[in-house]
Amino acid sequence: MLSEERRTEQVSLGSRASARLAGSDIRDEFGLETLDMNMGPQHPAMHGLLRLILELDGETVVRCDPVMGYLHRSKEKISENRMYPAVVPITDRIDYMNNIAMEYGYCLAVEKLLDVEITPRADAIRALMNEFGRIMSHIPSVGFLMLELGAFTPILYAFRERERIQSIFEAVTGARMMFHYIRIGGVKADLPEGMPEKMWEYIEGLESRFDNDFVDLIEGNEIFRARTRGVGKMTPEKALEMGLTGVPLRCTGVPFDVRKHYPYGWYKNLDFDVVTDAAGDVEGSYRCRIGEVRQSIRMIKQILENLPEGEVMADMGRRLRPREGDGIGRVESARGEYAVHVVSDGSDTPYRVHYRTPCTVNMQLLQEIVPGHYLPDIMPIMGLIDPVSGAWDK
Amino acid sequence: MSLDILNQEPIRFLLSFGVVLFLVLNLAAIFTMAERKVSAYIHLRFGPNRVGPRGLLQPAADVFKLFTKENLAPSRADIWVFLAAPIAMFLPAALVWLVVPFAPNAVIADLNVAIVFFIAMTSIGALGLIMAGYGSRSSFSLLGALRGAAQMISYEVPLILSLLGVIMLSGSLSLVDVVNAQAGGFWHWYFLPQLPMFVVFYIAGLAEARRVPFDLPEGESEIVGGFMVEYSGMTWALIQAAEFASMGLISAITVTLFFGGWQPPFEFLDLGNFNWFWFGLKTSILVFTFQWVRWSLPRLRMDQLMDLGWKILVPASLIWLFVTAGAMLLLPSVF
Repeated sequence: MLSEERRTEQVSLGSRASARLAGSDIRDEFGLETLDMNMGPQHPAMHGLLRLILELDGETVVRCDPVMGYLHRSKEKISENRMYPAVVPITDRIDYMNNIAMEYGYCLAVEKLLDVEITPRADAIRALMNEFGRIMSHIPSVGFLMLELGAFTPILYAFRERERIQSIFEAVTGARMMFHYIRIGGVKADLPEGMPEKMWEYIEGLESRFDNDFVDLIEGNEIFRARTRGVGKMTPEKALEMGLTGVPLRCTGVPFDVRKHYPYGWYKNLDFDVVTDAAGDVEGSYRCRIGEVRQSIRMIKQILENLPEGEVMADMGRRLRPREGDGIGRVESARGEYAVHVVSDGSDTPYRVHYRTPCTVNMQLLQEIVPGHYLPDIMPIMGLIDPVSGAWDK
Repeated sequence: MSLDILNQEPIRFLLSFGVVLFLVLNLAAIFTMAERKVSAYIHLRFGPNRVGPRGLLQPAADVFKLFTKENLAPSRADIWVFLAAPIAMFLPAALVWLVVPFAPNAVIADLNVAIVFFIAMTSIGALGLIMAGYGSRSSFSLLGALRGAAQMISYEVPLILSLLGVIMLSGSLSLVDVVNAQAGGFWHWYFLPQLPMFVVFYIAGLAEARRVPFDLPEGESEIVGGFMVEYSGMTWALIQAAEFASMGLISAITVTLFFGGWQPPFEFLDLGNFNWFWFGLKTSILVFTFQWVRWSLPRLRMDQLMDLGWKILVPASLIWLFVTAGAMLLLPSVF
């Protein structure tokens, strides 16, 4: 009699392994059998804690089962037991590479229930910080892609940029990572004295460094091209069928972007392009990310050029009691569409909060795309999805 | 009289071997330090700078740490194979140093088949790798070992083919003769007439030393260390020493074969018995290029590695072999 744990294991391993456990012969006509391999959850290239159950035929992956849940922190349940404003720092910790978008989505959802008017300056600052957050997430994800291909240096250049943006965030929000900056009804505080000028200076500097540090260093590399071109290839139909969003969808050529199609906040006033790439492989996703950083730079410049004056916080009561009903906040996070569904029963705590994180959905790609690829191709495909452990487990 | 006993053959050989072991182990330490400093320079950081003046004692601290660490072996490991593997990897890399001419009259064993000895010893290195991968009994190690075996056997072929041009030009398998044949300024060095062969040898040498972009047996990001994933403490240190020794070795052999060994670049720079300076300088520059490549390039995939080896390097070296042979046949006066 197998223990409950063992039986679950068996189910997740699939029929072939259970056939082996039952003692039947699984060799092919040459007397060869495939190799089972367990990659993760403690593995340097698994973007946190992901476990892949692999079946290998030589170096070729026959089957790939992602097992999630090793970083589950029950964000949704915790959110039910806190008052509305106190949930914001919880959302910060969902996607720890792009925290600001996580706050933004939740605040949008609650603001729909409160029917509160956000001041233009607060909206503009939100968009501004959100775009900084996107750069802060996209540049390291390009670096991680290179790290997974075996080149160590770009990640350090990437983290240099991230550190600089973190310093900007520290000056604006008081924290380098868990900001708690976007609040229900506005933002925590106005930009400090002289900050827009500093941001402008940084963005100009980034623009001049960007081609040199990331594009030329990576794109012209023959081995990079050989390792990424055609790897993780998928069609737009397949991507839509799987419900992908964000860069994995856009790199197949589908121009879907929440900022463009369901504009929120200050994005209505901004002029930007949705970056797509027809390739639908890892190289395409790299080009998409590079293009999106350029668009973010463009947007930040637009916001800084005409930053509206005024208050940054709407006038609400001290205790928030949203009306009964549900509100949905959709934002484009760095990894795809992030949506928050808040159900209110009229009390001061949410009745139910659901976080739709893009990583959880995009992770399906592994199961669909990886079989047939070589073992080392899993890593660039992870780089294509660019998941974050905190976001897929919540 | 008392020193004569040191010159008797077995004693001289043992002493020399002791000197070589000392040299190789120290080289490994120096190369680790160099690697960390070079990578730091490329990454725009400082590198180790706390232990000793400018961090120069860092390798000593590292070795001390590794000595105090426990040697763990997986419970299912084939323990004898597991423990013998680091030795089987280290010894060949150390032994080839016996035939490397450091300076005029400073070669421990002037074998008349030194190049064959070099080829034989690098082939044995693959054995240690397979032993490590098989003995660990882990699927990660096994994959690494299989990759390593395939890679080292494939790259042996272009490595040997690219040596043939030099052997034809110098007419000898002895490394001392090869160096002597390149006397008289850098335009006599073999890297000029044998440039394609030098490129093939350098790439195949990178693969033999298992350096990026050919570090597939290690495959840091997918098989997390490959064949050496289960090693710790001094066994791990020995594998590392073997890697660094073979990196230095490939550089030294490249210098000997293509860059005139200890020959100075110009005749008037001849330092006599101190010509080891030129040898050391050239070897260090090559080691630096190895490290430069390592911290700049991503890793190849197994099938791409095989394509490069069999479809590009082997034909290229074969073609240049025929070109060299034809030139020697048609223009005997030049050679």
